[in-house]
Amino acid sequence: MSNPLHKRRDFIERSMLSALSFIKEATLSEEYANRKGFLQSLDPRFKTISFLAFLVTAVSLKSAALIGTLYGFCLILAFFSKIPIRKFFARTLLFIPLFSLCIVLPTLFGIVTPGEPVWSFHVSGINGIITRPGLDGAVLFVVRIATSVSLVVLLSLTTRHSELLKVLRLFGVPQIFVLTVSMCYRYLHLFATMVENIFTAVKSRVGVVSQQRHGQKIVAWNIATTWNRTTHMSEEVYMAMLSRGYTGEPRLLSEFNATPKDWLWLLCAIIICSGLFYKGYFL
Amino acid sequence: MSDIIFEVKDVHYSYLGKFPALCGVEMTIRSGEKIAVIGANGTGKSTLLQLLDGLIFPDHGHVTAFGERLLENSQNDEKSAHRFRRRVGLVFQNADIQLFCPSVKEDIAFGPLQFGVAEEEVNRRILEVAKALDIQHLLDRVPHQLSIGEKRRVAIASVLAIDPDVYLFDEPTAGLDPLTVRHIIDFIVTASQRGKTIITATHDLHIIGEIADTVYVFGRNKSIVRGGSSESVLNDRTLLESNNLIHIHRHHHGGREHVHQHLPLEPHD
Ligand SMILES: Nc1ncnc2c1ncn2[C@@H]1O[C@H](COP(=O)(O)OP(=O)(O)OP(=O)(O)O)[C@@H](O)[C@H]1O
Ligand SMILES: [Mg+2]
Repeated sequence: MSNPLHKRRDFIERSMLSALSFIKEATLSEEYANRKGFLQSLDPRFKTISFLAFLVTAVSLKSAALIGTLYGFCLILAFFSKIPIRKFFARTLLFIPLFSLCIVLPTLFGIVTPGEPVWSFHVSGINGIITRPGLDGAVLFVVRIATSVSLVVLLSLTTRHSELLKVLRLFGVPQIFVLTVSMCYRYLHLFATMVENIFTAVKSRVGVVSQQRHGQKIVAWNIATTWNRTTHMSEEVYMAMLSRGYTGEPRLLSEFNATPKDWLWLLCAIIICSGLFYKGYFL
Repeated sequence: MSDIIFEVKDVHYSYLGKFPALCGVEMTIRSGEKIAVIGANGTGKSTLLQLLDGLIFPDHGHVTAFGERLLENSQNDEKSAHRFRRRVGLVFQNADIQLFCPSVKEDIAFGPLQFGVAEEEVNRRILEVAKALDIQHLLDRVPHQLSIGEKRRVAIASVLAIDPDVYLFDEPTAGLDPLTVRHIIDFIVTASQRGKTIITATHDLHIIGEIADTVYVFGRNKSIVRGGSSESVLNDRTLLESNNLIHIHRHHHGGREHVHQHLPLEPHD
């Protein structure tokens, strides 16, 4: 009974489930944020500001070598923050091709960046030339993207998302927005868990979900009710907020404790960034 | 009389106008009383607690709290809403709903912060409440990732931080292990000794003797079929049986089968 259609559906089902658990893992897990490493020990405000400075530096520098230095620094930080380097690479690598390919491709070719050809080819009547400045530009671009993505990934891995959200308040984002976004996060988690549970529950009753019409119907119906359940829940959550005195403008804790270590770290970050800028622009 | 806290008069409530949840409920609750509301699933216990907490409002009849009618628009201005909310705290049946903040600490702080309590005082209360409910180790955790029992304790802590005069508990012990149940009962008893008014909805008859002096039994007609002292209600087998609160058990014991009733006051072997 190896109907190719069945196989494909089974595949879709499996990849949907693994996509779900990947989303959960990637966006909602706080495993690394809870480890006791260097970056985890910093005040989220200082951490965010310093990483913003690194990002600006990575984006403005015009030398691949200097950006590479920053990338090396990022790896060292990851190491001292107890992030498995392989996992870190895997996370960043996932985004890099996506980002770089679509932007780099056109600049590679002579059409956009004229210059000394490094390599030319003829494919079915189309002449392509890869030029020296084009290639250099591409290398610079890839390094830049890799560094920027790594910085963002590192910051998000080592900070709880609730704290990242709280940092938003520093930049004048209203509290109601912060609370709403953090609740959306929660619902996302809840929704993913519910869909996973529904798949397991239906499977335990009717076998492989997508091979049976009946199973598909149950899943469709369940996903619809899941949606209803989440909206109904948000009404109830609103009641729970009212019950504890919410009247339209939430007030939340604003506790951050900056230590001398945080100030020292900020100083280091400023020195590194200005050093790189100095080397890149004045030497 | 000034010590009356809640007065429920001929209250009818239905969801969306077509699912009746309460039909003609009358009760009077005085300051410092320990009340239990028992009844089978779907008899309107949660609905009653939400009415008492001023979250929903009756279609018919009225609820008076602290001598004032609970009306939808009386809570529109912050001052009067806060006056009521400071005095009444509801621990929801579903702790997942009650906890909506990104961390346990913030959830505990939410109530006091809305009332304008200063942050130092809030931080002091967080520690005090966490100690009382033995959740110090959970303060930095994400609420929705906790176990059911841990969530329940955090939910209670979030209400305790407000320090209301009246506690409304909706199924505080459902699905918890014996030790946690013990912990929560002790909490309720202590609160009552401190003069708090306690209203608990439950169908766990084993705990009623400790957490209530007065029991109201809700029947399938979604109104009170009996109210009285907890002993008199717990000893009324026919009443409890006809309201799905006790049931006949068939057990296998060492190959022998025997039948007995599940009674609230005698723990069964
Ligand atoms: N959101 C809702 N929409 C429609 N009907 C509802 C809703 N919530 C409750 N009901 C109905 O109202 C009635 C009373 O519900 P309620 O939740 O108050 O019962 P309960 O005594 O708390 O039950 P349980 O012991 O299961 O918690 C039930 O018949 C239920 O079906
Ligand atoms: Mg209920």
